[in-house]
Amino acid sequence: MPRTQSVIAITGLGAVTALGNSVEETWERVVRGERAFGPITLFSAEGYRVPLVGEVRGVRLDGPEDFSRTSELALHAAREALGSSGMSDGGRPRRIGLVVGGSTAGMLETESTLSVILSPEGAVDPAARDEALGRMLSHPLSAPTDRVARELGPFTRVRSLSSACSSGANAMLVGATWLELGLVDAVLCGASDALCRVTLAGFNALGALDPDGARPFDRRRRGLTLGEGAGFVVLERAADAAARGKRAVCTLLGWAARAEAHHITNPEPTGDAPSRAMRAALARAGVTPADVDYVNAHGTGTPLNDPMESRALVRVLGEHAARVPVSSQKGQFGHTLAAAGAIEATITACAIARGIVPPTGGLEEPDPECPLVHVMRGEERPIRVALSSSFGFGGMDTVLVFGRADAVQRGAPRRSRAVVVTGAGVITPAGIFGGLDVADVPDSAPEGDAIAYDLSAELDVERARRLDRASRLAAVACERALGDGTRTKALAGAEHVDAGVILGNAFGAVDATSAFMRRLREKGARFASPADFPSLVPSSPAGHVSIYLRLAGPTLAVADLATSGECAVAQGYELVAAGEADRIAVVAVEEKSQIVDQVFRVVFGPDRRDAARGERPLRREGAGAIALAAEDVAIAAGLPIFARIEQVLSWWQDESAFTEVAPPPGGARGGAVVVFGTAGAAIDAVLERTGWSECRRISCAERAGSHEAAGGIAVAVAAATLAKDPSIEAVLCVGIARGSGYAITFGRWRARSS
Amino acid sequence: MQRSDLKREIKQLLVAELNLTGRDPSSIEDEAPLFGTGGLGLDSLDALQIAMLVEEKFGVRVPEGDEARPMFRSVSSLSEFIEAARARDATSGSAPTG
Repeated sequence: MPRTQSVIAITGLGAVTALGNSVEETWERVVRGERAFGPITLFSAEGYRVPLVGEVRGVRLDGPEDFSRTSELALHAAREALGSSGMSDGGRPRRIGLVVGGSTAGMLETESTLSVILSPEGAVDPAARDEALGRMLSHPLSAPTDRVARELGPFTRVRSLSSACSSGANAMLVGATWLELGLVDAVLCGASDALCRVTLAGFNALGALDPDGARPFDRRRRGLTLGEGAGFVVLERAADAAARGKRAVCTLLGWAARAEAHHITNPEPTGDAPSRAMRAALARAGVTPADVDYVNAHGTGTPLNDPMESRALVRVLGEHAARVPVSSQKGQFGHTLAAAGAIEATITACAIARGIVPPTGGLEEPDPECPLVHVMRGEERPIRVALSSSFGFGGMDTVLVFGRADAVQRGAPRRSRAVVVTGAGVITPAGIFGGLDVADVPDSAPEGDAIAYDLSAELDVERARRLDRASRLAAVACERALGDGTRTKALAGAEHVDAGVILGNAFGAVDATSAFMRRLREKGARFASPADFPSLVPSSPAGHVSIYLRLAGPTLAVADLATSGECAVAQGYELVAAGEADRIAVVAVEEKSQIVDQVFRVVFGPDRRDAARGERPLRREGAGAIALAAEDVAIAAGLPIFARIEQVLSWWQDESAFTEVAPPPGGARGGAVVVFGTAGAAIDAVLERTGWSECRRISCAERAGSHEAAGGIAVAVAAATLAKDPSIEAVLCVGIARGSGYAITFGRWRARSS
Repeated sequence: MQRSDLKREIKQLLVAELNLTGRDPSSIEDEAPLFGTGGLGLDSLDALQIAMLVEEKFGVRVPEGDEARPMFRSVSSLSEFIEAARARDATSGSAPTG
């Protein structure tokens, strides 16, 4: 059969679950309908209503000092995937990327650290407390990615992302766009999450756990069962796999992400967003509902999810819903949260490759509210096209379409689209800046390091009552960046705005996690706060912004320590350029955190306040946002165009990539400016080697704050500076931290004369 | 405790813990529906939070699932539930939870 260059082959699989330590072991037990639930042994679950989980056993899960259970699960599955693709040694392509999704990262280990930090005054030796503080930020969302990259690298492009329970599916979506944009030749993508007290207590508090173990689609179902594990796949172009004589397991034909913009924990009951994602993914794959032979459902077993998902499927499949088998494995190895979409991708791949439809373990009495073709026992059946759904907290829904290895992608290959900036917004202790005024941020005069003024005037307080501080800062910045009365539309109950949200945030809700753990320690699991739990998920501010502003496009969070802001811009740019979203609000946020401040005091020394003595500027708090749009969309919608994005480069450890930064147009004197968050020798070196060193430099951290979101403020300043000053032709924004680097070039946009 | 005091305490708890910023607790009607439109506009996540807070602050155990539904109708029904549960605990002599 003829193949096109754009077909993406899956050539490697890896998984670890409560059912097994490999894809093969998990698959065999899945097909037999086995369930792997038992009381948790990782920690004492005294006082938890439901201690039943799907725990991984029999895998050695330790490592270097900064290891976490999540990082070792990731490494285990990633190693299997890379090995089975034949890329472990000889067959490695030149440019291989790594995308890792997660939501808990090293939370299990952080909980132990917090137990020292939260001990009453006098109960712990001050030195032990300082030592614990030094470890407190060892497990950011990006830590498992770093661990996999160090062990299995080098990788030319690395990304850590979270969209709660759709993280694994979004890792594949991002990997696919990297191949489509020609950024890599192969990509190892997947996700990992380990069990921990925060998630088990949180889902207990939400009353979302079935005491008898999850029974997806069953009329007696009472909730999900938490599991843990990791899943990884290797994606590459089918032509490349064929050229190296590697047989594909199956193909990845389509993908799409949409947001519900509805509620932080409850699914929107009609299933509108999931059905939009399903339709878009099928269209992307170039197949119709009639072509679908199997659906691997999200199927959590909660009272609300399963009927909602059934409605969405019936809506999309139409009459075919009466013959397409649907199953979920969450009643067997549990809901593995971020890892779910990735593990279930490996299950779906096995189903296609072997022609076996796996069952829904735990399902005995199908609920009439879920009128689907349920699979009570594994059965042989040819599968040419399969669909896999994943829905996350905050309403982040992603659907993947897989095809048999001999399936031909009929979807038209997409060309990379031009991307423009249509607005900017920044909030700092000095004030709120929108549009061209964002260019004034580097000259602003902040008082103190916290945003002390009243934010309620900027927000609709009733709609914003669930938004935590980070979400509020992000919402204010995004609203300014998107402009065009976004909130006014939301308030008027207007249709969703077709825009996504990408959040850059390094550490997540550190103080809120600490407060949640303090309650858990002092009062017990029964008094864990159900309303506070959703805000602990790293992607929560992205979800809150999408709900508050009613933004219905792809929504997720990325993390890359001090370059989390630049990373978010790269992620947003890729999704718009690859055609996954028409508009995206990119926002980086850093909230004032007592614990982060204490950690930095321990790690970097007590007094960093005197900037005049050359010490680092105050951390402060704030958010920076830019609105991105496909050029044709911006023109058609009459949006203001601040700048055109000329180039987005990212590199990991290998700094030779930065030599690809295009020199300033017309030379250094020709109206080119460099903007960065926090200055540093690494940035100087890049400018020196790329012809930008003579250009005027604007540093943002001194006035906006020296923190992990400073890069997000810098890109907003860069775009606004270009838009405001007609003598400037180009602005380069650079951010580098711990070997991870980003270079984003903005150019003046001019309407093409036709 | 007087019944009106209990109601006032419940209203203050709702405003503070559910971030009903800008709302005066005394403006909440005793019989106003807590959920859905025409009242406070709370939802199922708030119901879970209220149940947890009632257990913590008032020392009474809230049943799970549909059994608890009627008590969440209004401030009045919440206060009646708490009073009845306290009276039960007093007569049976069992220690309150929390």
